[in-house]
Amino acid sequence: MDILPQAISDAVLLAGLYTLMAVGLSLGFGVLRIINFAQGEMIMLGAYGAFWLFTLLGVDPLISLPVLVIAGFALGWVIFSGFIAKVLDAPHINQILLTFGLGLAIQHIAIILWTGNARSTQPAYATSSSLIGDVLVVHGRLVAFAVAVVMVVALIAWLRWSETGLATRAVAENRGAATLMGIDTRKIYALSFGVSCALSAATGVVVSFILTITPFVGFPMLVKAIAIVILGGLGSITGTVIGAVVLAFGETFASYYIPDGSGWAEGIAFVLIIGILILSPRGIRGQAVETQ
Amino acid sequence: MSALLKLENLKVGYGQSVILQDVSLSVNEGEIVCLLGANGAGKTTTTRAVSGLLTPWSGEVRFAGADIAAVPAHKRVDLGICLAPEGRQVFPNFTVHENLLLGSYSGAARPHRAKKFDEVYGLFPRLAERRSQAAGLMSGGEQQMLAIGRALMGCPRLLVLDEPSLGLAPKIIMDVYEAVATIAKRGLSILFVEQNVQAALTIAHRGYVLANGRIAVSGTSAELKNAAHVQEAFLGKKISLSATGEVKPGSVATSTH
Amino acid sequence: MMGVRTASASVWALGLALALLIPLFGTPMMIDVAFRICSLVALAVSWNLMASAGLISLGHSAFFGLGAYAAILTANLAGAPFWLTLVVSLASGALLGSGIALITGRMRGIYFAITTLAMSEGLRVIAVMLPDLTGGAKGAYLASKSFPGATYINFAMGAVAVGTCLIAWALSRSRYHFAFRAMRANEHASQMLGIYPLKYRVAITAISGSLASLAGGVEVWHGGYLDPALAFDLHITITSQIAPILGGLYTLSGPVLGAIATILLGDATRISLGHIQGASLLVFGMVLVVCVLYLPQGIRGGLSDFFRRRSANAAPSGVSTRPADVARP
Repeated sequence: MDILPQAISDAVLLAGLYTLMAVGLSLGFGVLRIINFAQGEMIMLGAYGAFWLFTLLGVDPLISLPVLVIAGFALGWVIFSGFIAKVLDAPHINQILLTFGLGLAIQHIAIILWTGNARSTQPAYATSSSLIGDVLVVHGRLVAFAVAVVMVVALIAWLRWSETGLATRAVAENRGAATLMGIDTRKIYALSFGVSCALSAATGVVVSFILTITPFVGFPMLVKAIAIVILGGLGSITGTVIGAVVLAFGETFASYYIPDGSGWAEGIAFVLIIGILILSPRGIRGQAVETQ
Repeated sequence: MSALLKLENLKVGYGQSVILQDVSLSVNEGEIVCLLGANGAGKTTTTRAVSGLLTPWSGEVRFAGADIAAVPAHKRVDLGICLAPEGRQVFPNFTVHENLLLGSYSGAARPHRAKKFDEVYGLFPRLAERRSQAAGLMSGGEQQMLAIGRALMGCPRLLVLDEPSLGLAPKIIMDVYEAVATIAKRGLSILFVEQNVQAALTIAHRGYVLANGRIAVSGTSAELKNAAHVQEAFLGKKISLSATGEVKPGSVATSTH
Repeated sequence: MMGVRTASASVWALGLALALLIPLFGTPMMIDVAFRICSLVALAVSWNLMASAGLISLGHSAFFGLGAYAAILTANLAGAPFWLTLVVSLASGALLGSGIALITGRMRGIYFAITTLAMSEGLRVIAVMLPDLTGGAKGAYLASKSFPGATYINFAMGAVAVGTCLIAWALSRSRYHFAFRAMRANEHASQMLGIYPLKYRVAITAISGSLASLAGGVEVWHGGYLDPALAFDLHITITSQIAPILGGLYTLSGPVLGAIATILLGDATRISLGHIQGASLLVFGMVLVVCVLYLPQGIRGGLSDFFRRRSANAAPSGVSTRPADVARP
């Protein structure tokens, strides 16, 4: 039986998830010029939020999604104002180490509070599936894909057509000129960081019924998100989508076609990062890499 | 006439270096004032201090009588100070229309948006023709018009222009200056900084010459047109006015206009 | 000035003396603490060297783990003696460092950071996925016919620590020093293009990478066992960063002071909160954040200010970027 259609189906659904996972990082970098090394932990928190709401209150993840998205936004705003804002103009090393340290602290708070045991939410659709032709489609994955599409489209619409979205893009292009327009760049930064964390929270909610989650689940996701945004070009949303597709297909095909592939699939992101940096640092779209 | 903008003993610098030592100037309501100086004299530093992008180390910036030191840059638009910055700095990936839209982002300007669009497109028909074009693809002259138009969208009381003639062909410079003169006739106060002395003095009422971080000479444009003043202003270096009217420090004085 | 010079010289001498005497005369607990301090000194100085050139390593465990695997593989598969495996460790670190430097070319430091991050994860995956070679996730035991004594190994780690400091000192006195300072300043200003040749970047990453790998090599002889989780432990990456930042970035003694402080802090946390898994790394994460935000110059800066009674410096906020610090003892 030809597994190609199955592989393609899996890859496409995975690409949706990966886009959602990486687009927050891309936005954060495009506007604030900072890579949020705590991004993975934001996703992890979203996942645990969904888990606890499901386990303690029986709330379906899709219902808790909007709640957690808003909570993620608020948390992002607070983290920005409390920590990130202080290193906006500091040397890169400070910015890198700050978000790295925050991620580390959050990860271990999670370990302490919730232990390292694997969890997941188990709504009915997480495991039910349909057979379409020869292809098995797990409903949970389809739902995840739908959520991803909705959120990314909403993001693009916001950036393209709303007043604050326009202002955000202006800040990303030229912070000084944006200030001259009367745009409060601090607020835009906080807003963007909040949105970025909100998207991470959404990713986490979705992840909670697709994968098993532990406090350690954030780091590999960070590496994948980084691979995606580098591939697609830092700061470009279209590029992020392309990057997500490439990574998703790469991992899926690796696990189907390479013997022992599912283990190696985790290393695809790593290979992509190195490969892109060697071949074409600019990525497919997006900002040129400044050189020293 | 009361002074709309008053800079008093301004001292501004970056990091360890002082650019403006002690700068005082004023712009009255309805006036066109130019600040002249050679490359590196501190013209852009001055415009940035006025617009709030730079914080002075000492001295005062007073607008409509009030000290605006505490007003952050993005709020100065609401006060009525709009800057068309050095190098134009249009948003390259946005269309002309979007650039102008951003110009009226501030709370004070937003209600007047439709009216302002009419005004700017009327003033610069070229922009109207290109309203859906990406700003980054336009010529220097068109970008300059866009930058000025964008600043106008903010409903300024004081329009600040940073080297509007930079890199432009003489014919385009004239077009830009004509537009500026028209804007001024409608009652707007204007402060602009320039290297191109000749062009600047065609529309300015008064001018200052910035050299070595201080105001070396000031006067009406008629007074400043006397080249000797301007020459001496650059610290004893002999100046020649090139054919385009640019001030070039360090060259031997020849006959001047 | 003289007072400070003599003070710091005597502190270095004391450190050297301890490195020599403890393996011979110390109690097992002292030896254990000293061993871990020496290992971290090597890692911290190594991390600090890269940071001095504007290169932030977010995956220093990649070097450490690679060095450890290089040593264990050479010992098990080729039967190499102790010192030879260390040479291989050193070389592997130099190769990895040069490789990363060449891959990232002249790109901004963020790409270097990302590459090291990816490396630490990537190498771990490779180690897991090649069980025939590395023993996979189950790990491997060091099986050597010529096992040097424990004392010998302890001396070796002491020597590595001392050697690392000497190399850092030598670099600070060389013409490379200026190139590194400029690269670091360049990173902040991001203005000039292509002024500083790639070779400086390759040199510093090769040198500091090899030092970190060397520490890994010695460590694996000490522990006698290696698996991917151990080799590429996040703990190693974190402490490699914390130590120099806590102690004082871009200085010579900062990483050493910081290594001591970090080990002590880690032990204290483990003793008081040890039953809470993850407590020490949480503490380290918080230390990192606090240092970045509030303690720009680490402990070293605090001491220097105390001795010289200097008033607050006008350096930009955050981790100290005073170029003058680089060569201070």
